[in-house]
Amino acid sequence: MRRCKPLLGTYVEISIQQENGVDEISLAFAAIEKVQSLMSFHDQYSELSIINREAHLRTIAIHPWTSKIIRIAQDIHHHSEGLFNCGIGHRLVEAKLLPGNIDISHHDFGGIEDLQFVGQDCVISSFPLCLDLGGIAKGFAVDMAVNTLKFNGIHSGSVNAGGDMRIFGNELQAIHIRDPKEPSNVIEIGSLMNGAIATSGLYFFNRDQQQSYIINPLASKHSDIHQVFSESFSIVANECVYADALTKVLILSKQQNHPCFERYQAQAIQIAA
Amino acid sequence: MMNWKPTPFAIAGLAIMSTPLIVQAKIYTSAEQAQKILFPNKSFSKAPILITEDLQEKMRSASSIRHPFQGERIWRSADGSWFIIDEVVGKHEMISYAVGINPQGNITGIEILEYVESYGYEVGEAQWRKQFVGKNANDPIKLNQDIQNIGGATLSCKHITDGVKRVVLLYELTLKTPALAAKPK
Repeated sequence: MRRCKPLLGTYVEISIQQENGVDEISLAFAAIEKVQSLMSFHDQYSELSIINREAHLRTIAIHPWTSKIIRIAQDIHHHSEGLFNCGIGHRLVEAKLLPGNIDISHHDFGGIEDLQFVGQDCVISSFPLCLDLGGIAKGFAVDMAVNTLKFNGIHSGSVNAGGDMRIFGNELQAIHIRDPKEPSNVIEIGSLMNGAIATSGLYFFNRDQQQSYIINPLASKHSDIHQVFSESFSIVANECVYADALTKVLILSKQQNHPCFERYQAQAIQIAA
Repeated sequence: MMNWKPTPFAIAGLAIMSTPLIVQAKIYTSAEQAQKILFPNKSFSKAPILITEDLQEKMRSASSIRHPFQGERIWRSADGSWFIIDEVVGKHEMISYAVGINPQGNITGIEILEYVESYGYEVGEAQWRKQFVGKNANDPIKLNQDIQNIGGATLSCKHITDGVKRVVLLYELTLKTPALAAKPK
């Protein structure tokens, strides 16, 4: 059976091979909602918003899932030599791609690397932060949904959050991605079993004449901050959180063999427009 | 253990074969199933409402959705819960969805029933849309049904967000105080 809900700003589809399993799918959707409520930039009461507002003033106790995503984000930040960085929230606020809940006018913001753990699930920051987990939370939410399904006895299925997806179970499934030249067309790029694929492309943004949401954290010139491109970049990895985050490293480095892909056992796919 | 078998072009960087989607119709749940998902163990009876010109206009300006809301797909339970089906039609897609509202007026959940994506056809055309109305997962209209796992750039669910705005307004203006609602004759 297959269900779909609007979550994480997109359509999240959960498919399982068996015909019964409404409740198990509901639990998986609830896991995604949990990630959304912890890590939403839009919600001023989310843990992310509390970190952004107060982590430079006091120690903040956070949910184990928030700890986990921060540790993964810091690890990828380190191994991508700064190409992946969640400390770009203010750039997206400036471009009106995120709401202005935070006063961004007076601060030199730190990055994800400035968040320090003072316990298993407690953080403090040496600088004010304007983190946005938009480049990694969708993949993380997909993983949490898959874990929930497996934990509740579902053996085979998939979770697809608006194009970032994970397949689980002992069946190879054909994977199509949209052709960046013509997003109404799809390309069969391979088949996948027990893995994840995430794709970044700007074709819908370009179609709808919106500014690019892909930010180069290392940009030195103002005009280089928003990355504009027409091709599509995909990463195949064991878990969706890595697939999601590493697409940004691929876009910014344009290196299909960037050393950090090997570290995370990821493979890069670039499709020209 | 992950098993990834890329098609040859992905390895060799060869020319890419791409297949037109034409119509991608995904049918998720029926209205009945959605009702059971959003309100397990509750029974509903149909409670259609006549949408006056004035109400239609208010819903339009609150949501920026232009095509009219249809008042016959509304159900009510004895305790004052509501189950409402609506559809949003964008340039490239048509999505029907169900909203559950509890007696306190809070949304209990949103479930997508059908997602039809199309290029080359004008989705906005009522005549074209008709062929999908009332179909279920067993009907042959499910084109491209072998294409299940579609990756790509994130699609925004803004249309649904707008749609839910008009459903909430409908609740506020009429359903909340049923005496005000105009019943169809």
